[in-house]
Formats: sequence, C-alpha cells, structure tokens
Amino acid sequence: MDRRSFLRWSGAAAGAAVLTRAAQVSAQDAHAHAEASATAAAAVPTFERRPASRVAAPGGQPAVITPNGVSLPWTIRDGVKVGHLVAHELDHEFAPGMRARVWGYNGHTPGPTLEAVEGERIRVYVTNRLPEPTTVHWHGLILPNGMDGVSGLNQRPIPPGETWVYEFDLRHPGTFMYHSHYDEMTQIALGMAGMFIVHPRRPVGPRVDRDFVLMTHEWKLEVGARRPDPNAMNDFNVLTFNGKSYPGTEPLLVGVGERVRIRLGNLSPMDHHPIHLHGLNFVMTATDGGYVSQSAQYPETTVIVPVGSTRVIEFTPTEPGDWAMHCHMTHHVMTQMGHGLPPMVGVDTSTVDRRMSRVVPEYMSMGQTGMGGMGEMEMDIPPNSLPMRGARGPFSYIDMGGMFTVLKVRERPESADPNGWFEHPAGSVAGPADAARLRADGIDLE
Amino acid sequence: MRASLIAIVLALLGAGCATTSIRGDLDRIETISGQALPPDVLDQVDPVGDARVREILRAPLDADDAVRLAIANHRELRAALRELGIERGRVLQAGLLPNPEIEIDLRSQDDPEQPLQVELYAEFELTHALLTPMRVDVASRELDAARFRAAGRVIETAYLARAAFYDAQAAEQRLAVAVRALDALAAARDTATMLFDAGNVPELDVATQIAAYEEARAVTAELELARAGSRERLHRVLGLHGDATEWSIAAPLDDVPEESAIPEALERDAIESSTELAETRMRLEAIAGRVGLSRTEGWLPDVTVDVHAEQDGQTWEMGGGASIELPIFDRNEGTTAAYEAEFDALMERYEGTAIDIRSAARDACNRLASAHLRAKQYEGVIVPARARVFRQTLLQYNAMQVGVFELVTALRAQLSAELSAIDALREYWTARAALEALLRGRRVSGAVVSSSTGIGADQGSAGGH
Repeated sequence: MDRRSFLRWSGAAAGAAVLTRAAQVSAQDAHAHAEASATAAAAVPTFERRPASRVAAPGGQPAVITPNGVSLPWTIRDGVKVGHLVAHELDHEFAPGMRARVWGYNGHTPGPTLEAVEGERIRVYVTNRLPEPTTVHWHGLILPNGMDGVSGLNQRPIPPGETWVYEFDLRHPGTFMYHSHYDEMTQIALGMAGMFIVHPRRPVGPRVDRDFVLMTHEWKLEVGARRPDPNAMNDFNVLTFNGKSYPGTEPLLVGVGERVRIRLGNLSPMDHHPIHLHGLNFVMTATDGGYVSQSAQYPETTVIVPVGSTRVIEFTPTEPGDWAMHCHMTHHVMTQMGHGLPPMVGVDTSTVDRRMSRVVPEYMSMGQTGMGGMGEMEMDIPPNSLPMRGARGPFSYIDMGGMFTVLKVRERPESADPNGWFEHPAGSVAGPADAARLRADGIDLE
Repeated sequence: MRASLIAIVLALLGAGCATTSIRGDLDRIETISGQALPPDVLDQVDPVGDARVREILRAPLDADDAVRLAIANHRELRAALRELGIERGRVLQAGLLPNPEIEIDLRSQDDPEQPLQVELYAEFELTHALLTPMRVDVASRELDAARFRAAGRVIETAYLARAAFYDAQAAEQRLAVAVRALDALAAARDTATMLFDAGNVPELDVATQIAAYEEARAVTAELELARAGSRERLHRVLGLHGDATEWSIAAPLDDVPEESAIPEALERDAIESSTELAETRMRLEAIAGRVGLSRTEGWLPDVTVDVHAEQDGQTWEMGGGASIELPIFDRNEGTTAAYEAEFDALMERYEGTAIDIRSAARDACNRLASAHLRAKQYEGVIVPARARVFRQTLLQYNAMQVGVFELVTALRAQLSAELSAIDALREYWTARAALEALLRGRRVSGAVVSSSTGIGADQGSAGGH
C-alpha cells in the first residue's frame, strides 16, 4: 500500500492512538509512528504466567509444557495409567477474530498431550462423538499390532457413539504423536491429532529446565468461511503451532542460561516445516525414532520437521530478548494470504484509483509498494477472517501471522510477564543514521 | 291541400336539421375515451409553436405530459377527428329534401291574335321526402360509429404516447448503466495496462481487458442510438419537431407497486367498454336501418305529386295530379337481401371481435401479472442479490483474496442485473398502460415498443467477464 491511501483509510480515529503510542515508542523509530498508529485488526490475547513445572519423571525431568494446550489427566488403577479421549467437533479459535468448526479431542485441537514414563502401562478409553467412525493410531510407538489403530488393518473403526479401549505398555521413551487412522485425509485435516511424550526412566543427555511441546499443522480456511476445507491439497492458508496462528500463539518464556527442549511434531496434511529460531543455535537430540547420539548432533538454527515426524531440539539461550521462532516458508507466516490476484508492486495506481472511485467509491489499490502494512489497514473485510494479519509489536506492526511465535528469553523468567516486551539496553536498537555519523564514516549518499 | 303540403314539407325540413356541431362530437368522444380533449384541439395550426406546449416542454416531462402533448399534436389523431366531418356531412345530406321540379312551357301560335300560352308545371317526389327521416337515422348511426372509432384512436394515441415515453425513460436509464459499466471497464483496462507496463502480468491480461473495454464501447454506442431512436419514436407520437425536441425526462421509471392491480371482472369490463364493439353495433344498426329503408322503398309506391297551371288567353286553368309507380315487379328484394347479408356478416365479425377482446383482456392481464412478478423479482431480489455478490467481492478484494478484475466482473454482473431490472420495469408499465387502454375501450398491441438492443443485458457482452 502507499502512504497516501493509507492515510485516507486510517483517518482521524487513529490520530488519538498516535499520541498515546508516541510516548511509548522509542526515539529511534520515528519512521514507524505512522504504521503503529493504525489499529491492528486482530486483538492480541494475553497469557497467564505458567507455574514452575512439576517433576514428571525420574531424575528431576520436568513435565512438558504445551503452549496454548493441555496435558491429558490420568488416574491410576491397579498400576495402570487410565485416560479418556473424546473425539468430537468443536468451535476452535485460531486467533482472536478467526474461529472455525474443527474436530479434536477433549475440546482441543491438537488433542491433550499424553505424557507418561517409559515402562508404564496405559489404558486409554476413546469415545467417538464424531459423525463418522474413527480410530486412534499411536504414531511412533512400538506396541502390539492390534493396538496400532489402523482401521481395517488392525481393528474395526470405532462407530459413532461408542467407546473403545486401547491398552499397552510404553516400552520405549521418545516424542511421539497420535492421530486418527480412519478417513485420515478428512480427520487429520480437521484436527484429529495430538502429541504423545514418553519420558525415559533414566534421563538422557543434560538435564533440561523447560520442556515444550509444539505441534505444527496447516488448514485451508477461506476468508469468511467457518469450517476448514478438508479436501484442500494446496493453498493451505492458516498455519498453526498447537492449533494457533500468531498472534494467537502463546510465547515461550525461558531464562538466560537455561537448557530448553522443544519437541516439534508435524501432522500437517501436505507440508514439511523448516522451523527457525532466532538468537541461538540448537542441536537435534531425538526424533520419533529415538535419540540422536551426542556424537551425531550438530548445531543448527533451522530444523525441518517432515510431515509425520517429530524433531526434538535443545539449546541454551545466552542473549536475552524477544526472539522470533517461525516456519521459514514465507507463506507459512501469512494468514489467509490470497494467491489468485495480480501483484501490484511497482504500479502507480493513483489514476486508476480516481477512475475506479467513480464506479466503486470504496475502491482502493493495494500492494503497489509491496505487502507490508496490509495487516494494519482498516478496511471492511469478511467477518471471521484475518487476511494478512499479524499483530502490533513493541516498535511497529509485526506483519507475520501463521506459524510464528516468540521465544522470550529473560534474566528472571519466573517473575517475567509473558505478555511484556523486552526492554532494550540503551543504544542497542537499530535506528536512523544521523548525518554527522554518516559523514564521519565516509558514507556518501549523493 | 296546400296547407297540408306545406306542413309535410316543414316536418321534413325539421328532420333534416338534426345534425350536431363538432363540439358535440368531441364531448361525446371525451365521454367515451375518458380522455380530456382541449376545447381548441382542432384549431391550432402548428402546436409546436403554441405557448402552452412550449411551457410543458420547458419543464422535464413525465408520462402524463406526453399524453397531453400527443392528444393535441398527434397528426393521425387529428386526421381521425377531422374525418368525423365526413360522416357529419352525410347526415346533413341525408336530411335534405328532394328539390321540386318546375317546368314552364311557353307556347305562341302563328296567329298574332292569339295570346302567349303559359303552362306551369311543378312536381315533387313525395315518397322520397317521406323516407328522409329514415335516411337521417341511418346516417346518424354511421356518425355514432365514427365517434366510437375516433374515441378509440384517442385511447390508442394516449397509450402510444405512454409506451413511447416509458421506452425513452428506460433507454435513458440503460445508457446511464452502460456508461457506469464502461467506466469500470476503462479502470480495469488502465489497471491491466499499468500492471503490464510494470512487468507484473502477461500481455494476455492487458489484451483481455482492452478487448472487453472496446466491446463495451460498441455496446454503449448502440445504447446511445437506442436512446435517440426511442426519443424519435416519441417525437412522432407527440408531433414534435425542430427545437421542440430539446426536452428532458423528469424522473426514472417508477418502482413497481406492491399489487399488480388487475380488475376482478376483467373480461366483462373489457367487453362493456370496447369502442370497437360499440362502433360495430352502430354500424349494425345503420345496416338494419338500410334494410328497413330498402324494404319500405320496396313496398311503398313511388308517389310523385304535381301541380300545374295553364294560362289560356285570359284565364288560368289549375290542376293537380299524382303519378304512382306500382311496386309490382321491383320491390327492392335484391338490395334488401344484400343489406341483410351485410348485416349477418358484420354480426359474425362482431361476435369474433368480442371473442378476440376477451382473449386480449386475458393476454394483457397475463403480460401485466408476469411483468409485475419479474419487475418485483429484479427490483426486490435479483438486483439486491447481485449487489450482495458485489459487496462480498469487495470484502474479498479488501482481504486481498481476489484482484481488481474480479471486482470489476462482479460490478458488471450487478450492472447487468440493473439493466434487466430496467427492462422488466418498462415492460410492467407498458403492460399496465396497455391493460388500461383495453379497459378504456381500445385493444393495443401491448408489445413493448422496444428500443432495447438486448445486448446490454447479456452477461456475455456487457455484464460478463
């Protein structure tokens, strides 16, 4: 969008916001004022501070945190961990302002994280409240063939209205998943998946302080529609971590010097996701196939999580700040991006605007200088949609959405506000170059 | 004898004077047609120069103005009104008494002593004179028939003015819609050109948009001609020419009313008010009159009375007589039979006309009901539905899900629906005017006068992608 049309749309209402914002925004980003003045279409949710993790397994292994999600509660019956999964349709919010009817377990998609310890026996009741049969496949777990959940091959599917039971020993530790193995295309596309964590009886590798679980997924939700299209094969336009698109994603709050584990699982219908972390490097310590020996681990900043795989990464951040963590496929950080329209970059549309406004008074050309700023434009759009939307950041609008979250590295994570922004030490934020400095450094702009 | 003869002559003269004035005819026509005729309707030489007409034309016109102008100016109607004079002349002629025949004989003899002999002879066809009232009656029926015929022309002219005016209104509205579509296509073409110049789209896209725009220009030109054509049709009905053709239209076509206003006793009303049937009845009566006249002439002996006077030297010798032609061989049977046959034939036609009028009434009613439904459907459902599509396309455009070309396509679809809505509205008002004309007494074709090219409403050329 260009500045002229932007100003026409932001209007006087945004003016008040400029004044209040101006006090908070640091001096360096004068350029960003106008951008920040536009009210972001999507409200940014606030998140509760998470209590310190309890110990979940021998050796002080902390329980996993599923951002935006929950873990399945267990009861112990005669030494067996008993849980209950209910498969059903639910109204799910991808981010404030965008909801859809999806399928999931126990009110969530992905379903609750199952968390247990190597050697335990579990009994999981599965109640099917979907309109069609389903099964549960325990992805990556090695168990009796009749418990593997492949409809037709290992069992009859669970008819709607019935409750079936799975029971098996957890013979191997690891980061696994579970998902429907009946009408997979529909059921996985609509959200029938979850993570399954089995802690080792004896800790493997250095002890971690925080253990996060993130499941990636992709959906096709037409702008203004209220149910994802399970038939989609291409053009997925809503990309999620644990079922949430930014700014719906809960940030990962960690401490400087802490050892952090992130377990990534991918049950997207069609796409692998190169997950990239800023401000640190990490090693991959395990997959759903088992542990990677220390000698085979190598440092990386991006890990590809293939469809149907898990990847476990560990790192120790040293630099405090608000660090981006996102899929590096650029279209995967765009929510509901349209792909069928001609690019407008480099087109002077001022005469077209005049001409079109005679027949469509509300018309305005968009994108002639690029797509930046689209997310903050105040225009009438279909309800229940977040096209190209991101969220307001501490300096200006963050024009990423989708598979994006923030790793908040703090000196004192236990008392830090998960909704707060990093306070930068003076002189550590990029800003406009002053003329004297340019001259001194011999930069000639003429 | 003399006194009685004078009495008869006076009575016959009285019968012959039973003719009416032109004002009487116009009053009668006003009553029949329900359409006011200005008192001086036939006086003006060129209504276009008339101050009152100028006054009407200065302000924007509505359909009622058009009817008023047409009644005063339509040349065919004026001709029809003047033709009443033909029948009125015949009535006058029928009432005239035969002229008496006078013969004067002057005789002189060789003998100069003998005085000039003068012989006067006067003859009067008595039977012919006696039948004059019957002839006047027949001619009066024909005059009545002509009045109904003229009243029908008044109703038809009012309808033609209305229909032509609705068409002119519609043509103007259609052109306005086409110009909006052209604007949108020009914008799409310019956008495509700029996108192509910036290197963002292939030449196919800009070529497609240019082709669509140029086609729409041709369509718009056709609609311009259609507008001019519909105005000219109206000029012919209104009798306007020269600078009197510089008038404007007051308002777009009215919206359709909730109800289509179709009378209960449709066929009966149409039959009762029909000027065609009334005219035919008058003609039937005239023929019946002729049959009676012919029969009477057949049996009534032709009586001619005469008086003669002869001067024979000093004395006048007076005498009288009568000649009687005896109806023995020719009693007018052939003529009477011919008139009877003419009566029977016309009677058949009368029945046929009545059947046709009943059918025309139902037809007009069907047209009106259908046009009402369609106009309401376009106005109340289709145009709003298309507007909703456009609105949603605009939202999707704002959300960057569709491009400017889809936006223009949706706009054109909406404009196409608006064109169809205008056509349906014109059909409704035309059908309504046709039904009203029928119920006032005149069948009209009821077909839309049509300046529509039909192209503008076509999705493929003006409204489509």
